[in-house]
Amino acid sequence: MSRLNDISLRNVVPDVFRDSELHSRIWSCDITFKRGGNYLIQAESGTGKSSLCSFIYGNRHDYAGHILFDGKDIRKFGIDRWCQIRTNSLALLPQEMRLFPELTAYENIAIKNRLTCFKTDDEISAMLDLLEIADKADIPARFLSIGQQQRVAVVRTLCQPMDFLLLDEPVSHLDRRNNRIVAELIQNETSKQGAAIIATSVGYDIMLDFNCQLTL
Amino acid sequence: MKSNTQSDNLIWRLLRRNISPAQLAGYALSNFVGLAIILTALQFYIEVSSVFEDDDSFMSRDYISVSPKVTGLGSLSGPGPETLDSTAIADIARQDWARRVGRYTSARYNVTASLDMGGRGMSTALFFESVPDEFFDITPPGWTFDPESPEIPIVLSKDYLTLYNFGFASSRGLPQLSEEIMGVIPLKISISGRGHQIWVPAHIIGFSSRLNTIAVPDEFMQWANDNFGEGDSATSRVIVELSKPGDPAIKEYLASHGMEMAGDKADSSSAAYFLSILTVVVVGIGLVISLLAFFILMLSIYLLLQKNKDKLHDLMLLGYSPSEVSRQYCRMVAMINGAVCIGAIIVMLISRAIIHGPLSRIGVEASGPYITVGIGVAAMIAVTLLNFASIRRRVTSYFN
Repeated sequence: MSRLNDISLRNVVPDVFRDSELHSRIWSCDITFKRGGNYLIQAESGTGKSSLCSFIYGNRHDYAGHILFDGKDIRKFGIDRWCQIRTNSLALLPQEMRLFPELTAYENIAIKNRLTCFKTDDEISAMLDLLEIADKADIPARFLSIGQQQRVAVVRTLCQPMDFLLLDEPVSHLDRRNNRIVAELIQNETSKQGAAIIATSVGYDIMLDFNCQLTL
Repeated sequence: MKSNTQSDNLIWRLLRRNISPAQLAGYALSNFVGLAIILTALQFYIEVSSVFEDDDSFMSRDYISVSPKVTGLGSLSGPGPETLDSTAIADIARQDWARRVGRYTSARYNVTASLDMGGRGMSTALFFESVPDEFFDITPPGWTFDPESPEIPIVLSKDYLTLYNFGFASSRGLPQLSEEIMGVIPLKISISGRGHQIWVPAHIIGFSSRLNTIAVPDEFMQWANDNFGEGDSATSRVIVELSKPGDPAIKEYLASHGMEMAGDKADSSSAAYFLSILTVVVVGIGLVISLLAFFILMLSIYLLLQKNKDKLHDLMLLGYSPSEVSRQYCRMVAMINGAVCIGAIIVMLISRAIIHGPLSRIGVEASGPYITVGIGVAAMIAVTLLNFASIRRRVTSYFN
């Protein structure tokens, strides 16, 4: 599978904002995210940052304008193409994590990794160790705190080859120390893969070096 | 491979939530009942229809003998015996229900038979008829006639032997005769006409259930009529091979043309007709039950998918494809359908064993269950594939 090099937004506006007056660097603008870059999208609540992630990830289509992956309109992609993209090119850490509550922390990671066969069990254990949740591996996700769930979700998101990593408020439930640990883990992984990071934030940013900051 | 299986297990652990065992059991039970009814009815039909196809069986239904109706008035006042002319015979042959028509040829000479039984001579006036060989239910050895060394093979109606044994012999204190003994009794037949007479040896070589007459080979009849026959040849009755046994049109046709059919074969023909209708009705009921069961399953699975909608969505976000997700449900359906199919086949086989007892007592040979098993398996595979297609379509709809 060839690499995904750039993601372009052409005059994209969520349907709900169609008639609103927008002061945004993203909505109704032309903008291109390049592979390898670190992008921070700062936004106030309700300005549509989760919508933006969903639009790019292809699971919502309620917008006007065009989103292009290497120049190809993603509205034309079929299910099979999306499955390939989501396992090989594009990773998403949703704001609400979406862990399966009945599966353990480890199983929640495994259900992704067994699809991609990307990380070894040892690598996963090492990441859990680093994030200080190795002892929670066999506990069902519903018994974990929000902060622990967030860290499990980070590990799960990193268990795939990627060109772009969408992080929707990745550290909203973490303290500064864990913020830094998560940021280092993510930066290591994306640097290794040459992937871009597109992170959203409502004010509490993940501690990464961003080379482009945009206001939604 | 191992990781795939484990991954499948994980997905199944997620997706099996909200499965309603009661609904699936309801489906399995009703589909099982429906399929068992269908297969048992089909097997029964196959077993019993072998009786209808058997030429020499109690329900031999393929042949009827048609003759003009003899009215008391006509036979007393009319010039001669009632006959069927060529037009009438051709008209019968044209009917939908007639496959082949063969003429009975009557003897136009006098026949007398005599036999010597332990010093007691017996002699009686007789008659002969012949029909084309293809209408015989038996093909006894020696069924030929050679004018150079004349000896007459005779096929006798089984009814005649029965009449003699149980009607005549027992009331007159005469010995009862088996088919084998009849076969070895030397008969002498006198044939006379046109002013001369010959004696010819004869043997009874077989007994027919279908032909209610004293039958001789066509070659002999031809030869004897040519040499001794008096008067015109006329056909008084025909034998008809039926293509639609039990067709009510047969009775209507015969009644409207002043003809009648011989014997009680018409009743067994109606029985055959009735049986096929009954089979269609029973199979139809089974089909309706199975169809309803099919809808129960589809509804149950749709409900299950609806309840697991969020999980399906989350799996989609992880990159799972609709086929990977639907495979889990397909596997479940395949297992249920497989069990239902095996169960229904077992019931069919048990029913077959049960009905085989009574059927074998009336001379029905067992037919193999393979056709029915094949039909059952094929039908279940078709249903399962249909299930797969709709599950796949439904899951895909949640992925869009």
